[in-house]
Order: sequence, then structure tokens, then C-alpha cells
Amino acid sequence: MPQSVNQEAGWGKPPSAWLSIARYGLALFFVATALLWSLLLFPFLSNSFIVLFLAGVIASGWFGGGGPGFLAVVISSLAVDYFFFPPIRNFGVSLETVPYFLTFLLSAVAANWLSTARKKADERQRAYLDELFEQAPEAIMLLDLQGRTVRINGEFSRMFGYQREEVVGKPGFDLIVPAELQAQAAASRERLMRGETVNRETTRARKDGSLLTVSELAVPITVGRQRVSDYLIYRDISESKKAAETLQQAQAELAHLSRVTTMGELVASIAHEVNQPIAAVVTNGSAALRWLAMQPPNLDEVRESLSGIVRDANRAGAVIGRIRALLKKNAPRMTPLDLNEMIRGVLALAESELRRGGVVLQTELARDLPPVEGDRVQLQQVILNLVMNSIDAMRTILDRPRELVIKSSNDSAEVLVEIRDNGTGLDAEHSERIFHPFFTTKPQGLGMGLSISRSIIEAHGGRLWNEPVSAPGADFRFTLPRTEGFA
Amino acid sequence: MSESPPTVFVIDDDASLRQALKSLIRSVGLRVELFGSADEFLKSKPPGAPGCLVLDVRLPGQSGLDFQKELAKTGIHIPVIFITAHGDIPMSVRAMKAGAIEFLTKPFRDQELLDAIQVALERDRAARQQLSEISGLRERFESLTAREKELLPLIVSGRLNKQIAADIGTSEITVKVHRASVMRKMRADSFADLVRIASRLGISLPPASTS
Repeated sequence: MPQSVNQEAGWGKPPSAWLSIARYGLALFFVATALLWSLLLFPFLSNSFIVLFLAGVIASGWFGGGGPGFLAVVISSLAVDYFFFPPIRNFGVSLETVPYFLTFLLSAVAANWLSTARKKADERQRAYLDELFEQAPEAIMLLDLQGRTVRINGEFSRMFGYQREEVVGKPGFDLIVPAELQAQAAASRERLMRGETVNRETTRARKDGSLLTVSELAVPITVGRQRVSDYLIYRDISESKKAAETLQQAQAELAHLSRVTTMGELVASIAHEVNQPIAAVVTNGSAALRWLAMQPPNLDEVRESLSGIVRDANRAGAVIGRIRALLKKNAPRMTPLDLNEMIRGVLALAESELRRGGVVLQTELARDLPPVEGDRVQLQQVILNLVMNSIDAMRTILDRPRELVIKSSNDSAEVLVEIRDNGTGLDAEHSERIFHPFFTTKPQGLGMGLSISRSIIEAHGGRLWNEPVSAPGADFRFTLPRTEGFA
Repeated sequence: MSESPPTVFVIDDDASLRQALKSLIRSVGLRVELFGSADEFLKSKPPGAPGCLVLDVRLPGQSGLDFQKELAKTGIHIPVIFITAHGDIPMSVRAMKAGAIEFLTKPFRDQELLDAIQVALERDRAARQQLSEISGLRERFESLTAREKELLPLIVSGRLNKQIAADIGTSEITVKVHRASVMRKMRADSFADLVRIASRLGISLPPASTS
């Protein structure tokens, strides 16, 4: 009886005056009943009073406790002495009935002690189990077969913000399920009804509507073969989830950095490797011109210089070819990706930049975006590059709010991502040149970002372009083919 | 001065750039010798050959800058022109401070290099001329007798024959004979000329002890 739990749990505390009076009254009532029946039965069963009074003492001790039980012993002894032991109707005790009376008295005391001790042990056991439930470190909700809440524990109240009185007796199964997950919850309820245990990581809502990531364990409780009740047990894993996400982010950042570093080293090495033959070409070219300018021109020397030029130009070409081959070796690692999640990840990375740039961010991410297949780090680089470009383009804007809009959408074949800002925008004649290597409009720019981004997107089977806009700003879009078999 | 014509010594580890430099430098009528490393150069170069050095900063083994230092230490005085694929300012400052003629970044304009070579050769020629002049003067000085060598500082310090005679305890006439002999052997046209020669030889004047 759940309702009685609270009263019983309060047993150890000083009982209220009324409750004490009631318990002692109860003892008087039991003894009085025993007396009444003893008197009624006395003519037929002269010794039945012993059993009846002992029963009265046991009942008083059980229901009333030690004090009332003791009272029952005293009154019963007096009543027995007065009414049933000779001399009858007299409190005096004749010598030969003393052993009988003492036997009765000891029996009554023993019965009372046994009764109250048993009761106390029972209560202690119960209180112990209650505390176990109450103090369990996980949030627990106990449901009856109709899905109504029977009990919740303290952790449940703390985790979800509901008080016991608010939920007990009311449908509990859907109470903390966010609207968008009702279908999933209904499915797990069905499995529960079939007697299965459901264990998953999911999202649940607090009373105030805020969401938290939990691990949910739904367990049917069966007695014999019969399901009698369901346990729902929750553990808050928001923190560990967040830690895992942070770790993943850090890893992505690291991968990004190491790529950038590799790129920097690569560029330095290209510069040196290509610079040598170019220096030779320039020198040979100058020498050839000088030999040619002589009177008469020294054609043998010219020929030698020119063949040197050809040789060194080929050498420079070979260097480039080697670098190409090297880049190809770094084949992208293709995995199915949720672009929305990646966009959110990149925005998290760029958060401080967005804040510093005073940018108002607006995301319109399609809810049912199919996955795409791609290299996480490469695509992150593309999105980050476009976002950073937008932030840079809006730095000098002072007359209007700086707005960055990021949209994702899809049609039957492709997923489209749009990154639009209201920054300085691009000159019409630059709209294609910006994708050329080493073209930049930024004083510190290398002019590689968009060129690399485009080659990444094209390697993924998509397109990256600059959509003409009428309003001030720029609108970059890229598509990626949606993945077959995942949609 | 019966020495070989001035030569441009090129030290660069890139063979084809070496060849190109050779062609370019030869086109203005200069002699060129090529080396792949500093060691190669040290092994084959006649120590006294006139010319200049075109040196890559980034050499296999020791760097061009270290090599420049080493040359100076071992007393080989040859003007150096640095060429480099990626020169930064601190590097070029170091090179110039150590006495480099020029610090050129590849690819450089031909005229820049040729101008630098001209400057370097000119400097080398002047240095050599000075060196040979001094060695001529030193020869003359060595032809003096011990007594004359002793008298030379006193003479150029401007002391009178009489005073010098008193200094070294001899007669005025003897000093007069010695002075004439010194003037002749040092091929000095005048007293002023003798003073100039002495100063070029670094002959220090004795502490003036006028009586």
C-alpha cells in the first residue's frame, strides 16, 4: 500500500497525541471485546477466556505497539483476575490459582513482546526497502499495468522536477517524453508489454520543458508468468555525452590544425622545390639573351642555355606532379554524415569568432535531412571556411545588423547547404575568379580557401558556387549527393 | 703580378642552377668555376687566386653563413655574394655584417648578380693591390741593416740628427750617413715620403722624449 508507506515511514518519530490516544483506545477496545466474548462464552467454554485475552493482547501489540500492548496486558490481567479466577468478582487471588494467574500473565507479556517485535522487524524491513528505492542514485518510476504512476523516487523528482503528489496515480509513461519522440516511446511501450526489456539512450523532457540526454532502462516486473508492473529507470548522461562531443570536437579541430600545418609545410616545400628550377630557368634565359645580343651572336651558348631552360621547366613540372600524387594518396575517409550535425559542430567551433564579429546567426536546418557520404574533416573545413569568409566579409559593416543565415534542405537527389551573409559581397566580375587558386580579396588571405573548398566538394560529387544576390552580401551554396541506402 | 685572371667561384648544390650561372657569368667574359659544396671549393681552389665567391646560403653540410665565417678565420679574404631560395632579413643582416657584398633571393635578376660580381671583383683587385704594395714596402724594409731599422722610427719621428746621435750615443755624422742609406733603400723621394711608407708598414713611433 503505497499510501500507508508514508505513515509507516514516520513510525520512528514521536506520534501525534491523537494517534497515541487512538492506539491506546484500540488496546482498550481489543481487551473489552475479549472480555465481552469471554463473559458470553464463559457458561459454555469456561477456559476460552485465556485464548481470547491473549488474542486481544497480540492484536493490541500488533496494531497499537509496545505501550498499548503493555496496557492490554495489565487490563487483561486485572479483568481475568476479577472475572475468571476465583474468588470471582474480586481482585484477590487465592493461593492455588496463583500459578495459573502467573502463567497467564507471562503468556500475555510474551505474546505482547513477540507481537510488537515482529511488527517492528517488519516495519524496519519495509522502511529499509523504501529507503533503498528512495535513495537509489538513478531516477525510478514504477508504473502499474494501466501505465499509471505508482511511485517515483527522490532522484526522479530531482532529475525531472515532478513532485510525488503531482504524478502518482496519473498516466506516467508519456509524462517525460518530448513531443517529437512520442512514436519512439510508444514503440518501447509495446515491447515492454510483450515482456521485453528496453535499453536505450534518448532524450527526455523535464517539467519545465528543458531536455536532457538520458539512458533509459524499461523493465517489466513479472510474478510467475504474469507481468504485474513496469520499472522505468533513468540515468542522466548529458554530461558524459557533452564530454564525448567536446572530445570529438577537439579531435576534429586537431585534425583540422594538423591538415593546415601539413599544408603549410607542403607549401614551403613546394616553394623551395619549384623555386630552384625557376631560378635556373630565369638565369639561363638571361644568359641566352646576352649570348644572343653579342655581335656575332654565340648560338652554341644560346642553344645550351635554352636546353637548360627546357630541362628545368620539366623538372618544375615533375615536382608539381609529385605533389599531386602525394595529395591523391590522402584519400578522403568516407562515412555517412549528418550535415545538420556537422553544421552545428562547425558553428560551435566558430562560436567565439561569431561573437567577436557581432554576427546574428540564423539557422534553418531541414528536419529530415538524409545523410550524405563524405570525409568529416574535409567537409567541416569547407563549412568552416565559408562561415569564416562570411564573418570576415561582415567585419566592416556598420550600418546594418550583421546577419549570417545557414540553411540546409534537400530534394530527391541532393542535399543543399546555403551560407548567406549581408557583408561587403563580391564584385560581379569576381564571382568565378574567387575559386581560382591564389585569388584573394583579403589583405592577409592566401587565396586558397575557396579553391580548396571547391575541389573538396567536387571530389565528393557535389558542386560549390556563388549564387548571385540582389541584396548586399554573398550567398555561397554547395550540394552533395544524398546517400543511397541510408535515406 | 703574374697571376691568373679573376675567376668567379660558384658554390651551389643545384647542378642545373650552377650551369645556368656559369653560362650567364661567362656571357660577360668572366671565368667561372663551379663547386657543389664548400669542401669541394676548399680542396681545389688555389689559395691566392683572385676573384669572388657566389655562395648559396643553404648548402649541404655547413651553411653558407658558417662557411663565410670559416673563410675569414682561416685568412682567405675573398668577397662573397650570397644567393638563397628563401632569405629572411635577419639572415641577410648577418651576411652583410660579416662582409658579404650582396644578398640575392632566387630567382634574381641577371643584372643584379652581374653588378654584384663587378663590385666584388673590383674590391678583390683593390685589396690585392694594397696587399702587394705593402709586401713590396716590407721587402725594402727588410733590406735595411739592424742599425738602420733601429734608426728608422727615430728618423720619421722628426728628431734632428744631433738629437738622434745623442739618443743612441754616436756622432752626428754617422747618423747622417745612416739616414741617407735608409732614404735610398726605402726609395723615399723625400722625408715626407719616408714618413708615409713607415706609416703604411705600421712602424710605430717611439715615445717622444725631447730633451
